[in-house]
Order: sequence, then structure tokens, then C-alpha cells
Amino acid sequence: MELKMSNLTKKFRDMTAVRNVSYTMTAGVYGLLGINGAGKTTLMRMLCTLLKPTGGSITWDGEDIFEMDGEYRKILGYLPQDFGYYPDFTVYDYLMYIASIKGVRPAAARQQIKLLLDQVGMKKAAKRKMKKLSGGMKRRVGIAQAMLGDPKILILDEPTAGLDPNERIRFRNLISELAGERLVLFSTHIVSDIEYIANEILLMQGGEIKASGTAEELLSAMPEEVWSLEVEKKEIERYMRNYKVSNVKTIPGGAVLRLISSEKPSSRAVREEATLEDLFLDYFGERAGENDDEI
Amino acid sequence: MMRYEVKKVFSRTSSKIAVLVLFLVMGVTCFFALDISYVDEEGNTQKGLDAVSKLKAAQKEWAGELDEEKISQVIAENRRIRTSPEALAQDITQNEIAYSRGQGIKEIRELLNCAYAKGFREYDYYRADSLTEEMAADFYKNRTALLKEWLEGEAKDQFSDKEKQYLIERYESLKTPFYYDYMAGWVQLFEFAPTIVMISMLILCYLVSGVFSNEFAWKSDAVFFSSEYGRNRAVLAKIKAGLCIVTAVYFAIFFVYTGIMLLYLGADGWNLQVQSSMAGWKYFYHITNLKKYLVIGAGGYIGCLFLSFLSMFVSARTKSTVMAMIAPVMVLFLPSFVGNIKSPVVNKILGLLPDQLLQAGNALNFFNLYSIGGKIVGEIPVIIVLYAVLTAALLPALYRTYQKAV
Ligand SMILES: Nc1ncnc2c1ncn2[C@@H]1O[C@H](COP(=O)(O)OP(=O)(O)O)[C@@H](O)[C@H]1O
Ligand SMILES: [Mg+2]
Repeated sequence: MELKMSNLTKKFRDMTAVRNVSYTMTAGVYGLLGINGAGKTTLMRMLCTLLKPTGGSITWDGEDIFEMDGEYRKILGYLPQDFGYYPDFTVYDYLMYIASIKGVRPAAARQQIKLLLDQVGMKKAAKRKMKKLSGGMKRRVGIAQAMLGDPKILILDEPTAGLDPNERIRFRNLISELAGERLVLFSTHIVSDIEYIANEILLMQGGEIKASGTAEELLSAMPEEVWSLEVEKKEIERYMRNYKVSNVKTIPGGAVLRLISSEKPSSRAVREEATLEDLFLDYFGERAGENDDEI
Repeated sequence: MMRYEVKKVFSRTSSKIAVLVLFLVMGVTCFFALDISYVDEEGNTQKGLDAVSKLKAAQKEWAGELDEEKISQVIAENRRIRTSPEALAQDITQNEIAYSRGQGIKEIRELLNCAYAKGFREYDYYRADSLTEEMAADFYKNRTALLKEWLEGEAKDQFSDKEKQYLIERYESLKTPFYYDYMAGWVQLFEFAPTIVMISMLILCYLVSGVFSNEFAWKSDAVFFSSEYGRNRAVLAKIKAGLCIVTAVYFAIFFVYTGIMLLYLGADGWNLQVQSSMAGWKYFYHITNLKKYLVIGAGGYIGCLFLSFLSMFVSARTKSTVMAMIAPVMVLFLPSFVGNIKSPVVNKILGLLPDQLLQAGNALNFFNLYSIGGKIVGEIPVIIVLYAVLTAALLPALYRTYQKAV
């Protein structure tokens, strides 16, 4: 069980969306973290055989996935970022149809669907039309369809985007629960998603994997350090301009800044333990998306 | 799998409405096609089933071989009626009474107008009134004579010598005298069949136009193509679903239409030569009404099948449902772009376009001839085979196009 990308490249005319990615995945949960436009979706679409790479290769246990064709797709479950469905199908019909094109026999499909609907908490909505579902419910059906056929590889593109905080937590639990012995790759631009469920983190930027490893590994390998510093109001502006600031906490007369810098920004600065948030800022030069890092 | 593909089409409200519209249009067409009237002895016009049975009875009285004797009887009877005081009166009711007496020979009278016309392409409604009994012997001979005259004159440059010979041979080999009987059921059915086939084709193309492109419109393509069968069996299921929808809807409409028409007007005359009614008088195909019906049904089916699959092909190729809906209509309107260029070559090309299949009944009347392997063949067999083959060729192309879609 080994999904291997070698020098994987995808060019769209003059722009390179994925550049020379080499990475090998086995069983476990992989979190692909990167800002919008980093190339996450493009990478995943190649892993799902939806896009042909312009360079490099993807192999499953040594065999080219495009040559494996149906044999590879048989062990694949995919939740696209822009999850589309048949609006007038009921949830149940939708899942039965997807099961059929995934080669799951009707009898087995009925059992799997029953189980999955229960797991994603959609048992009561099985007879509802897809177009009548809320965003979160659609996403649950999306996860359920990806799980049909008990795939060895599960690829989820931004499964938590656009969900409210409570729903997001439920989704994280669901993904952990469904992971099992599978190879799960999910993308996100939200740091907290990664912290909770990923065993392995891939930081993607400009089409490249800039760093990878467990949270501890990444943090200990972080090239710069994190400092906290109490400054007066008039100084805030100057620090913001010269340093990467991961947090600003206002206090009477000034603020406590959380700065990322390789050298001590001031004699008064105090070393802090780095978090994934800091790491994200350090790599991407901007704060993590959707301000829900507190949940 | 295929069941769900069909469901994708019919779960949409617009598709259900489209099918409903199709049946409604058919209903309205039947309403007009069944508008048969009978004028009674007092000159009153009757409608409905009663009128049909009275007309049938009147025409049945004249049923039988249309031989010289019968023709001369009809000529005499027609003259008697048309010169009667009622016919010559200024009063409309009196005229109607005269008309009432002629209803039994109405259709034969039309044949007389054709047979004794001034020219092959001429028609004079009053021609029958100026005939004499002695002329009855020329009834069948005139049919061929008019053709010959036309081929040597007006149509001189339209046909090769071989084609002219072929047409004359066809005309001469028609078995005469032929049998006459009441056959309003078939006549009316044939007249409105193109409307039924055309509207079926439009609705069918509407129904199937999204089979391939909607996956992209719904953005369900990513899940579809990343599934195990997404690039083989699931594509095949779409093609099969298209085939099923076209076949089921087409024949449902066509048979319901046939059923309504023949139940109401009767299927009498099913085995008569088409030439025994005015619409078929000039045909060079020797077929019966039943065969003509089968040609119309089969031609319409193949035409609908071809155009629906063309629509699906465009749907798969362009990923656009709108383009897929426009394409077959464009093909249908191709002949009108050609306009008035009338040359034998243009006619032969126009004769091969799919709109001919949708109005196969009318196309039987067209003298478009093709030379295949030294033999001359009429338009109808050529287009039926041609489009059956083209449709079959479209299937693998459609499969491959969608299989490779990204
Ligand atoms: N089909 C395409 N054609 C051209 N450019 C594309 C296409 N798909 C993605 N891109 C470009 O590739 C880059 C990466 O996009 P994407 O993979 O969607 O990133 P992410 O999922 O990380 O937001 C973006 O700059 C995007 O504009
Ligand atoms: Mg994306």
C-alpha cells in the first residue's frame, strides 16, 4: 500500500500549478495545508486520474495509476472541493447510483449505504432530495459517497471549508473515525483541521511541497523562532512592517505582539513555543484562513 | 446503472413537462386529424363518429376493382351529380345536398383529376366534371403517359436516360386495375404523421441533450470519472439510456397516435395500393398502405435516433446542453439555407438529409434517384440504410469522446 508521486508536475499553459512534487504516502491521515491557489486541488485531481500530469508519475504499489485505469479507481474514494450531485435524486438514490458506478453490487450497496448514512448522521434524510439539503448535509453525503466501496485511498478536498464551527468539529471526528486502515489525504487552508486529525502534514506553496512531517517534526525544524513582546501603541506599526506578526493582543497603552523572527527582535522579547499557526505564517507569509483557530 | 441514467433525465421537472407537452401536441394533432365531416341528404354537416361511419358506408358502396367499367360509372355519376339542379342552384343548402350525394365517389373523383390532368404536375379540381365515359379506358394509361410527357419536356434535364427508363418501368409495372375502398384512417394518419414525428424528435433531443453535458453542469463529473466504471461501463450506460429513452418515447407516441387514428377512423384499406389514393397516385414505389405506414414509422424512428445521438454526441463533445439542443435543429434547417438553387445534384443531396426521414411519407413522393452498384434506387431505402449506418457509427465515436473527457 504505497501511493508514490515522482517529480509530479502540472502546467496549465504558461502557469505551473504543481511543480516537481515527489512524495510517498502509505496508510494514515495526511493533511495538505496551503493557501488558495497553492495547487492542492490540482494535485488531488491528478491523484484521482481526472487530470493527466504534464510531467512525472504517480504509482500505486509500483504501477502507474493511469495504466491501472479502472483497477486503480476501484480502490479510490474522492470528495471534490466543488462537490456536484444530481439535484433531483434523493440521497438514497444518489448513493445507490454512485455505488453502481463504483462496481458495488446492489445488495452490498444497500448494506453499506445504511451503515454510512448512520455514520454521517443522515439516516433520517435518506429520502430527501439532494437539492433540498443544507451545505453541511450535502458535504456529509459527499463523504458517504466517497466511502462507498470501502476504498483504500480516500481523497478529500477541503472537506471542512464553509462549515460552521460545530459542524467542523463533527467533521473532523468523522474523518478520524472513517480513516481506519486507509490512506487518507485531505486538504485544507485551516490550521486547526490539521492539528486535530493529520498524522502527517504537507505544506504546499506555489505548487511545491515546502515541508512535510508530523507537527512536532515541522515545528522543531521551523527555521525561525517565535517571540512575544510588549510594545507601546506608537511602536505597533513599526513592528508590523518589519516582522511577521502572528498575533496582536491589545492591552492598556499598547499591545502584546507575537513575532516570528530568526533573531531576537528586542531585548525585552521573550521566547515562546511555536504553534502550527506560527508555522503557517512563517511559510505562507499570511495568517491562516477563516479566523476560527480558537475552536 | 442505466436505470439511474434514465432517472437522471426524468427526475427533472422540465423533462416531465416536455413529455407532457409531447402528448398534448399529439392530442391536438389528433383533434385536427379526426375532424371528418359528413353532409347528410338535407345538406346538414355532421361531425364525430357518426359522420365517420356514414362516410365509410357511402364510400364502401363504391369499393371494388377500379376497372374501366367502374371508372366510367364514376364519371357518369359525377356528371349526374354536378349537373343536377341542386348543384347548379344558387342556394348553398342545395349545393350541399348535391355534395352529399358525391361523398361516396369523392376520393375516386380526386383520382380522376390526377389521371386526366393537363400535365404531370398539374391539378384541376374541376377536371373530373368534363370527362366522358369513353375516356375511362385511358385511366391507367394516362398515368404513365403524363409521366413520359413530363420526363421528355419539363424534367428533361433532371434525370439521366437510365433514370427516366427506371421511372417509366416502375409506372408501367404497377399492377392495374387496383382496388378501391374506404381508407380515411390511413389517409389522415399519413397526413399528420410528419407533425407527430417532428415534435417527437424535438422533444427527444431536448430530453437526451443533457445526458452527457449535465455531468459538467452539475459538477458531478469529478465523482463520475473517478469511479471505477466512470470511463467505461457508466459511459455505456448513458448511451443505453439514450437509446431506451428515444425508443420508448418515440414508439409510445407513434403507437398511441396510430391507435387513436385507426380506432376512430378504422383500419380499412390497410392492404390497398398507395396509388389508390390521391396522395400516393404518383408514387413509383409499389407498396400498400400498411407498408407505407411501416416506412413512416421506421424512417421516423431512425431519423429521431440519428438526431438524438447527434445531439448526445455534441453534448459529450462540447459539454454544453444548449449546443446539444441546437445541433439537430440546425441540421434540420440545412435545406432551407440552400434556398432556391434547384439543380439535380442539389436535389439529390437534399434528398439525403435527415429531415427526409422525419417526413418519410412525403419523401416517398420525391423522385430523387440514386445509382448504387449500377442499380437505380429510390431515396427512401437509401436514407433508411444510410442513417441506420451513420447512427451505428456515431455510437463508438460518442463512447470514445466521453470516455476521454476531462
Ligand atoms: N484548469 C485550469 N486551467 C488553468 N489554470 C488552473 C486550472 N486549474 C487550476 N489552475 C490554477 O492553478 C493554480 C492552483 O489551483 P488549485 O490547484 O485550485 O489550488 P488550491 O486548490 O490549492 O486552491 C491556481 O493559480 C489556479 O488558478
Ligand atoms: Mg482547491
